[in-house]
Amino acid sequence: MSAPEPVHPLAGVARGRHGAAGDAPLRVSFPARDIVQVMVRRGQDAALAAAMRTAFGIDAPGPGHTASGSGVTAIWIQPGQWLLTAPRTTEGALAVRAAEAFSTCAAVADQSHGRTTIAVSGASAREALSRGCRIDLHPRAFGPGRAASTPIAQIGCLVHQTDAAPSFELTVFSTLAEPFLHWLLEAGAPFGVEIA
Amino acid sequence: MSQRFRLPSGGHVDRSKRLSFTFDGRAYDGHHGDTLAAALLANGVRLVGRSFKYHRPRGIFSAGAEEPNALVELRDGARREPNTRATVAELFDGLAATSQNHRGSLAFDWMAVNGLLAPWLGAGFYYKTFMWPASFWERVYEPMIRKAAGLGRASGLPDPDHYEAAHAHCDVLVVGAGAAGLAAARAAGATGARVILAEQDFLLGGDLLNEPGLEVWRQESIAALEAMPEVTLLPRTTVFGFYDQGVLGAVERVADHLPQPPAHTARQRYWTIRAKEVVLATGAHERIIAFPGNDRPGVMLAGAARTYARRYGVRAGETAALFATQDAAYDAAFALAEAGTRIAAIIDPRGDSAAMQRAREAGFTVKPGCVVTGTVGGNALRGVEIGAVGSGGRGDAVPADVLMVSGGWNPAVHLASMSGSALSWDEALLAFVPGAASQHERSAGACRGVNGIGAAAADGAAAGQAAAVAAGFAAAPAITLPEAPAPDHRPYELWEVKGRGKAFVDIQDDVTANDIRLAHREGYSHIEHAKRYTTHAMGTDQGKVGGLVGAAVLAEAREEPVAKVGLPRFRPYTSPVAWGAIAGGEVGQHFQPVRRTALHGVHEALGAVWMDAGIWKRPAYYPKAGDADAWASVKREARAVRERVGVCDVSTLGKIVVEGPDAATFLDRVYANTFSTLQVGRARYGLMLREDGIVFDDGTTTRLGHDRFFVTTTTAQAGPVMQHLEFHLASAWPDLDVSLASVTDQWAAMSIAGPKAREVVAAVVTGLDVSNEAFPFMAVADCLATGVPARLFRISFSGELAYEIAMPAGYAAQVWRAVLAAGAPHGIEPYGVEALGLLRIEKGHVAGSELNGQTTAQDLGLGRMLKKKGDFIGRVLAQRPGMTDPSRPRLVGLRSVDPARQIRAGCHLIVDGRSQGWISSATQSVVDPGWIGLGLLRDGETHIGSVIVAANPLMGEEVPVKVVSPHGYDAENLRVRA
Repeated sequence: MSAPEPVHPLAGVARGRHGAAGDAPLRVSFPARDIVQVMVRRGQDAALAAAMRTAFGIDAPGPGHTASGSGVTAIWIQPGQWLLTAPRTTEGALAVRAAEAFSTCAAVADQSHGRTTIAVSGASAREALSRGCRIDLHPRAFGPGRAASTPIAQIGCLVHQTDAAPSFELTVFSTLAEPFLHWLLEAGAPFGVEIA
Repeated sequence: MSQRFRLPSGGHVDRSKRLSFTFDGRAYDGHHGDTLAAALLANGVRLVGRSFKYHRPRGIFSAGAEEPNALVELRDGARREPNTRATVAELFDGLAATSQNHRGSLAFDWMAVNGLLAPWLGAGFYYKTFMWPASFWERVYEPMIRKAAGLGRASGLPDPDHYEAAHAHCDVLVVGAGAAGLAAARAAGATGARVILAEQDFLLGGDLLNEPGLEVWRQESIAALEAMPEVTLLPRTTVFGFYDQGVLGAVERVADHLPQPPAHTARQRYWTIRAKEVVLATGAHERIIAFPGNDRPGVMLAGAARTYARRYGVRAGETAALFATQDAAYDAAFALAEAGTRIAAIIDPRGDSAAMQRAREAGFTVKPGCVVTGTVGGNALRGVEIGAVGSGGRGDAVPADVLMVSGGWNPAVHLASMSGSALSWDEALLAFVPGAASQHERSAGACRGVNGIGAAAADGAAAGQAAAVAAGFAAAPAITLPEAPAPDHRPYELWEVKGRGKAFVDIQDDVTANDIRLAHREGYSHIEHAKRYTTHAMGTDQGKVGGLVGAAVLAEAREEPVAKVGLPRFRPYTSPVAWGAIAGGEVGQHFQPVRRTALHGVHEALGAVWMDAGIWKRPAYYPKAGDADAWASVKREARAVRERVGVCDVSTLGKIVVEGPDAATFLDRVYANTFSTLQVGRARYGLMLREDGIVFDDGTTTRLGHDRFFVTTTTAQAGPVMQHLEFHLASAWPDLDVSLASVTDQWAAMSIAGPKAREVVAAVVTGLDVSNEAFPFMAVADCLATGVPARLFRISFSGELAYEIAMPAGYAAQVWRAVLAAGAPHGIEPYGVEALGLLRIEKGHVAGSELNGQTTAQDLGLGRMLKKKGDFIGRVLAQRPGMTDPSRPRLVGLRSVDPARQIRAGCHLIVDGRSQGWISSATQSVVDPGWIGLGLLRDGETHIGSVIVAANPLMGEEVPVKVVSPHGYDAENLRVRA
């Protein structure tokens, strides 16, 4: 029997156009992601780095950075901790892979349901995000492959820039994804928001 | 309507664009580029308001942000905005403006009788007079004073506009776009630095707007800045505060100049700017001289009259006099003469000067060695009285309808001072200038006493370049600078002309020189005390035109130099900022984010009535047709649990995975009881204390593996517990190999409780034997629920046979539906937080009302949980005598003697006429109908069985209650183990 698909926290959000009309709207989507929190054991940093390289082809990124391997991205989130993210496959698949890879050097917690990723792209993305994001997203200060955690609209948010368009992935607690999206729709309203 | 004071040409107004507006209901015309004040003056409107305290007639006094007088209400209805400075309000077509603070008409305000009472209305009058009886202050005196004094009226309606916050970062922030600011921004921008140029005016240029000969340089500078991709221009943006570490606050009036904001556009934007380097180019404010009648409509700052003539093409009057103490002010006379105003006299206390000679050559009547001793007129100036310096008394009158005053220039040091720079006294300028910087900031131009457009621009360019270099950029080739002579700004020292009549040092707050002296006589001699006693410099203008004059009057009274008296401390905001901008988007439903469980939609479909639990929304109960009231719904749900089975969303409980070789050791230290002895696959109730020994939180913790635990917390303390654990792991025991992950959002959970719970769970769960033998009370195991991975806990809060199923949140809805379907034959009911509370009170379980941050484990009957061996957080301080005192209030059960009489949480428990405790939780029982509760009662156990009184003095209730054991329901716990 094929496993039933989980309900996405933003499943109820109306797709299509929000806010102002215009040619260059903010493009927003909710990519389904497997997300795993990896927490290094005391003194196991080198072993973890080796395991991440072997299992995922990723050099563990340092503070403020991300690194991608074959289909998996590691995002540094705090000292000794990373989020691994990948397009969703089957329930718990990434967590199982990670638990095997890091069995002796790190603790692993599946957060695929606990975190929700909102992808934002467009020429106005930086300006819209500046309505709540205190992080400097200017190309000289930030850029593709960079990530930072910061409160936006009173909600803890992991901001990860994925390309120079610019495109960002914003990862928040799933139970706060809806009010976060409402903030984003308000911040993006002057430019228009297109939800795919 | 004719604009009879408008010049045919010149200035920065567009005469081809005619804008209609009203003031106090009368229609007028103005032009694009006008402020409301400029348009009023163009139409000959002189009287624009009544003063704060004495209701004296007042006119337009300045041409900028420092305006003390011309405060008006703009717009109508919900957009009505009081206390707006007409001198900065940009005119738009259809603007409706109204004068404020008068009863009757503006021209005849019967509250002006306060002016006749003035001898008794000095500083401190209210405090001295309205003292008796004390009870009258709030009910009578204060409302009366508030009605008589004061400013405009708020609309009282919800603001229909929206406001937004915004964050900006830059290498160099330049505040002010006069000559110094434009040059600074150009010089910094040329290096490639990221530059923000903020200007409160809607036009960039500052005093350049009064200099047609320098217009080319102004436009060239703006064009150069607009061409720089890393330069951001923010006109209509007031930087109001300089905070620590290069953080500045600013408000951008995005749509104030429009009748209403366009769709999807904020009315105002509240900027938080983080700058590596700051250049302050905020200019200077011309200051008043205190002389009798210096507030009469028609008296205005000399530079303001010049600005109205040169920038707006408006003559401020037909016949003007100038009262100046320095050469720089003389250009006002020339500007007005060019505009066609007759210059009646120039009054100057000095003997002679270059400017005085030029004025004589131009044919003006110059009165050297003279001062203005008074003004003549009613609601408008008709003449100026002139006397020799120091002569005293009233002098000869010269007819004039405008008197231009200049007592010198105060550098606008507000932001520099806020940044931490100590001010220093400039003896030549008789003003305070910024001292050494304490943050990454520098002042340039008039705000540090460098006067004249050419000199200020050069100073700005140097500051801009230095700021960019300090931010790490290489200096760029020099920019071209404007050439302009620097007029002499050094004034003759004249703060006050003494004589009969009110000489104001603060026009906005109706504070006179005599009020300052009174403050000194009564002991309020420190500048901060004098400020508060008299309200000097406390208005929206923050003393920009008169603050230093008041300090000088105080200095004279103290017989000390002004430099020693100083100014009151500068604090944000430099100019008024609307509350709407401060609140930003976080209003109404966006005040706080709303947190929803994965089952939110399910509850909504069931018609749940919501309850706020922190920022969570939780179902309080699920009303059904036929329920008489809320209590009927709650009791129906609770009865289902006691008699059959119910299901409740418990996803809001905090969930933390504690993992690592030292996980058990760690939990033994943070919990008051022991976890290292817990078997894998079992749960245990845990109690956490704060460092001070008070109970912090409780919950069940499960051992998932030898080194892996699953901790649950109460909903309210989920965040604080996580912080507590992280703090101790990082600070107290960094040697422990433990990691913490919050999985509150990963797992949804529901409790299935009641005698039929096992049948329901068995139907939903696969891969697990749920019989009592295989899966006893406190067992935990992984399983599948409706085919998805889940975890089953046999734990109970209700006192019934109960399970909790936790599953990845995205599957919660399907499991919930399966539970309802499986429970349907058994009469399952979803139950909400109210029924949950009822059940736990019946059972005697403590919750947030008992874990209230004041109770010890012993108070709650949990003293035996504290382990005897080994240390844990809170152990030492829990042994203090006050904490172990046997007479502390203890947890008891309570039952209303008359089942129909309600008891309420918060009631005092009265024993022998004295309050000996309180009711912490109350509800209605379903097992033994009537009102029951939990409470904390001194010597609680000794009262069990006796009847005492639950008193609610607020509602006049006294209800006899019987003290019982808190664990009256199934004391042997047979049901949970069934």
